[in-house]
Order: sequence, then structure tokens, then C-alpha cells
Amino acid sequence: MDDSYPLHWSFDYNHGAQNPEFAQELIKLLHGYDTKSTTHHTDAEEDHSIKHVYQILPNFWRGYQGRNVQENTLSIGNAIIERQKRNNDIWNYNVRYQNTTSGEDLRFEFRCQDECYRPLHGSWLVDAQNSCSDTYSRLKWNGHLSSDAEVRLRLNGAEITAGAVDNSLPLTCNWALFDVIPALAEKMKESGDDVDIALLDDLEQFRPKNRLGFLDSTQSPISLDGYYLYGTGILPSYWWIDATGNIVIVSSVFETLVLTEMTGSSV
Amino acid sequence: MNKRPNILFINTDQHSWNAVSAYGNPYLHTPNIDLLHRNGISFKKSYCTDPVCAAARSSWATGLYTSETGVPFNGGQLHTEIPDIGQVLKAGGYKVFHCGKWHVPGRNVRESFEALYYGGHNIDAGGAAYYDSASTHAVADFLTNYDGNEPFYLQIGYVDPHDVCEYLHNHEEKHIPNPVEQGILTEDELPPLPENFDYDDRETVLHRVCRRVDDALIHARILKAVRNWDELHWRYLRWNYYRFIEKVDAEIGRTLSLLRQTSFYDNTLIIFSADHGEACGSHQMFQKFSLYEESVKVPFIISCLGDEISIRKNRFDDMHFVSGVDLFPTICDYAGVDQPKAVQGMSLRPFAEEKDVPWRKHAYIESNYWGRAIVTDEYKYVTEYKPKMVEDFFPPGPNAEELGLAQLFDRHNDPWETENLTDTQGYQEVIKTCREKLLTQESQLNRQQIVHQGPQRIISNWGKRLREYWEHGKIK
Repeated sequence: MDDSYPLHWSFDYNHGAQNPEFAQELIKLLHGYDTKSTTHHTDAEEDHSIKHVYQILPNFWRGYQGRNVQENTLSIGNAIIERQKRNNDIWNYNVRYQNTTSGEDLRFEFRCQDECYRPLHGSWLVDAQNSCSDTYSRLKWNGHLSSDAEVRLRLNGAEITAGAVDNSLPLTCNWALFDVIPALAEKMKESGDDVDIALLDDLEQFRPKNRLGFLDSTQSPISLDGYYLYGTGILPSYWWIDATGNIVIVSSVFETLVLTEMTGSSV
Repeated sequence: MNKRPNILFINTDQHSWNAVSAYGNPYLHTPNIDLLHRNGISFKKSYCTDPVCAAARSSWATGLYTSETGVPFNGGQLHTEIPDIGQVLKAGGYKVFHCGKWHVPGRNVRESFEALYYGGHNIDAGGAAYYDSASTHAVADFLTNYDGNEPFYLQIGYVDPHDVCEYLHNHEEKHIPNPVEQGILTEDELPPLPENFDYDDRETVLHRVCRRVDDALIHARILKAVRNWDELHWRYLRWNYYRFIEKVDAEIGRTLSLLRQTSFYDNTLIIFSADHGEACGSHQMFQKFSLYEESVKVPFIISCLGDEISIRKNRFDDMHFVSGVDLFPTICDYAGVDQPKAVQGMSLRPFAEEKDVPWRKHAYIESNYWGRAIVTDEYKYVTEYKPKMVEDFFPPGPNAEELGLAQLFDRHNDPWETENLTDTQGYQEVIKTCREKLLTQESQLNRQQIVHQGPQRIISNWGKRLREYWEHGKIK
């Protein structure tokens, strides 16, 4: 691992107010992943179960840890993405996203077809819990694609439409991009062509048209290929894949996810 | 309307008036704010009281101008004796709820409202990416469960597009290539530079400070980064700003969709506004603080998705000057609750119902404690008070002797505010009239001494820097 500067601009968030310093924290976390990635669980591989754990580093200027708080880590939470292939053609995803800034603990359950675009399959479920001392403590909703291609969400007896899907574009969940981008990476990099995709952000917010493409390569801190994602209603994010095909860094304007643990083989 | 309405006040943060697709902006898509416009009335001459978060929000909460509230900048403290909208509505029989951003320092939101959601670290600046969706979850939970007998008042403070500040902070410590260099966008996909990217540098001292000429009082590191930007960087800032607005528009959309599924749908008044705007490259500025239109002009919509509340639909009001102080009395009017006598604003309800009432002929705006603006149909007059030699912490004014530099813009012939007319022959009478309006307006304010040490320190520090200009002609 090359710990020397500079990191790629897309994930080098180094605001002076941050302590510990962002780049050191990012590199330290990646060191941890380096060690753990050599100890894949063989039994997990056999049942096609894969798990990635990411720490969430804030790209905020302020407000992410409260005022005058001295911590020994920048991490404000983590994202755990588990998926398992069943019946050979369906992937079952369980994702947990905890964030001390929002105070929300989100759990996502959804299924995708075993294709490189991971199209959403069947219904899905979100369980949101709020740890703040407010009236809102928990909200669950489920969703499905209706026969007339509408994204429908149902909560507490109310049903709303989140958008109408254009069947010419595959619809997947943003949390499945951890598999979609590696699956499309080689094609995007070699051809230089973009890929259009529809997203259901957090199984809740429909983003009808988004673009994925190859961004850049870097050798610092490790050898990585970067890909971008942007579209209507979303800010650009940058997804960096290592030589083993795992997404190890995801950076956007507000946060950086850093891979710290993995079990199972990359897809 | 045969019963008191529920009232939903939805606000966004740092959202300029022209950043709404229903108002003709082709570079973003805001179908849900557009829906509010189609079901209500939008005010074209709508101004914040002060182009920074806490100050503008202190006016929303009290119906007072910021030299009255104790919050003339972000570090202020609301005077303890001033009642807020939550307290007044609660006393008037409403159940009052808050969700999301509050940012009125000196007033505990949880004491004035029942907080549906207020974030893991109490929301102030930044973090829309986390807070806004959680706010929508909290509102969804509330709308699908509320079974109180009393009408409710719910204010939802969305943080976006304020995260454009985070976008800017991202540039502080590194050079980010423009998006065409990155290869992710073509030049054709970017909005153009604003018409007033080039500007007249004959500005007030405060405006020069806002644009960080000769060093900065605030966010100097962003300025340092921006000095290395090319045209495409500025256009990319605008592109990103519009994406932040599309994000928050989607949050508003889910809230409105859920409201539509409830029994409150027909009898819920919806007011939509923003605390202040965003320069977004106009006058080569970023963020807010200035008294230029992009920073001070904000959307203000009164709407109802159902039929029980009489509101003109799909209309623009281009006659009346609206201010952030008008929110409080408008809400009280619809709620049938008496407003405190000191409130400066006036109810906008008559205009939503196509009635005529006597109205002000100008907008009055304060900025950064010393800055002032008067906007009339014909002109915009921007000026500033010089820092006092011995600071007494009474917000300045009205005193013609203490006024500093000024800017005058012809709103008909120069809507982009690119030519300062103060030195042009023939405008002295106009300047005199505007100045009289300013001093008359200020004579009607109940300015109170800033008593907290924190805000006093800010005034002292800023005042010292500004005095250097007046004494030496240069801000160090």
C-alpha cells in the first residue's frame, strides 16, 4: 500500500477542521481491510454469501460529531451489505446503514435477479429506527413494482407512488451497485461508454435516469479503478474498485464509505 | 373553510427564488414545488429579512426584523422575552410540531414545539444528505398516525440545498478538475454562467467582505479555491446546486404524496419558503451574506392541495413586497390566533384570497449586522453602517451620519444589478428618497441591545476588521 500523497481528488476530503486527519484515517481503515481480506470464510463462499462492511467518514465541514467533541475516529457509522444467492437466479440482500449524525438505523431487505444490472425482483422492506429523543422512533414501509410499472410504497396503511419505471432501463437499488459496478466495470473501462440505469435510492426515492462510467485509475493508496455515477436528483458519486473486484471506496459530496471487512468472494 | 385549518410550513435552506422550474428555470426539475405553485399563489417580490440562516429564521419565528430579534447573524441569540410562533399557536389551541432544521439560537425548539425529529446532533448547518430523508420519515410517521382533536401546525425544515456549502468546502484543500476534464459531463450539459457573472466592483465595504476581497471574514479558504476556478467550475457549481434542489424537491414530493393519502388533505394550508438564497456565481460570489437578488430573493408560496381552503390557484402575485416577517402573521391569520403587538409583518392571506389591503411599497433587508437594503419597484438601494468607534452593541440605525458606502440599481433597466448608479449624475434625488425610506423604516423598529457575550465578540471582531477599511482604506 502506498501511503504517500496525493490521494485522488474524488476521495481526498481533507478539511483542516477534522481530527484525526481524513487521509490518515482512510488509509488506516484500508490497511485493516487489507489484512482481513486475506481470510475469506470458505463456508460463506460455498453458499454464495457475501458481506462487505464499510465505515462512514464524513465529508461535512461541520456538524457531523457535534461541537467540541474529541474522538479518536472520524467514523460516524457503518454500512453492512450482505447478500446471498438462492435458487441460482435470485440474490437476497440485507443491508444495514447506521449513522450517528442522522440518528437513523436503516435496514433494507430486497431481492434482485442474477443479472449484471441486478434488477429489483418482487417486493422489498425498509425498517427505519431513530435513536434520537424525538417523537419519531420507527417507520417501516414495503414496496413493490406494480403491474403497470409504478414503484409503489406502503406505510401505515397509506400507499404512494414513487414514480413510473421506463421498462427500457433496468431498475435496481443503490445498495446493489456494490455488485453492479464491478460487474460492468471492465466493459465501461475498455469501451469508454457510459451505462444508463434507473435507481431506487434506499428503496424509497426513484431516480429514473442515471449514468455510470469510467472515471480514472490511481495507484494511491492502492491500485484502484474509479467509476462515476450521477443523474437527475443525485450528486455525483465516485466508486473505486480494487484488483480483486471489490468496491473499497465510495465517495460523494457528503460522505466516504471505506471498506474495512469482507467475507465471501467478490461477485 | 368551516374549521381551523392544519398548517404545514415547508421550508428549504439557501434556495433562490429563480431556482424553481415552474418559475421558468430550464436547468432543474422541481415537479413538487411546481405542484404547490399550481395549487396556490407565488409571490414574485419575496425577500428574506437577512440572507443568512439563523437571522432569517429568527424572523420567521417571531415576525420581527433581525436587528430586533437578537440574531443579526448566525452567532446571535434570540432575546428571551420575544414569543415564538410555536408558543403563540400553542396558546391559541393548536398542537405544534417541529421537524428538521430550526437554527434559531437562544430558543430551545423542544420547549416551543413537540419535536418529531431534530437529528442526532441537533441540526444547524450541513448534513442534508442525512437529515432530510429522516425528516421525511418522521413526517410520514406523523401524518399517518396523528389523531388529535386539535388542528396541527407542523413546520418541516429541510436542509438542502444548503449542502451546496459542503460542495464548496470540498474544494478547500484540493483542486477538483472541472467536470469536462473529469469526463463526466459535456459542456452542453452545464447551465451557462449567470448574466451578472461580471460585476461592478464599486460595492459597499460589506459586499467586498462578502466576496472576500482583501482577505475574508468568513470562509476564506473557499475563496482561495475559487480563485483557481475556470468558467466550467462556476457552471458546475450551478449544476450541482440544481441537483441539491432536485433532491429536496423529491423529499417534498413524498411528504405531499403522503398528505394526499390522509384525511387532512383538504383542510391543510401549505406555506413554502426558504430562509435565503444562494449567489451561485452571480457577481462571482458563492453562498449568501450579500444583498444581491440571488441571495435575498426567495420563493414564497401559499397553497392547498384540496378544496376546503380558498386560495387562488396557479397565480403569481407580482404587486406586493413580501418579507420573511410576514410568515408569522400569515400563519396567525389562518389559525385565527392573535399575533403579538410587536410583530412587524402583515398577513398575506388577503392576497391569497384576491382581496386588497393597504401594503408596504418596499422591502427592507438587513445583512451582517451593518448592511441594509431598500427594494422598491424602480430601484434597489444598498448601504451599510460604519462600525461605531465605541461599540454599544445596539444594532445600528437609524442615523444618516453613520451610513457608509452605497449601491443603487435600476431594477427595470438593470435587473441583474451590474451597474452601481450612486456616482451617476441625476440619481441624487433617488438616493435621497431611498435613504429616507430606510431611515423611516428603521425608526419603526424596536432594536434591542445584543447582551450575550458570544455575539458581542463577533460584533467586536468584525467591527475591528471593518474599521480598518474606514481608517486605512484596506481590510486586513
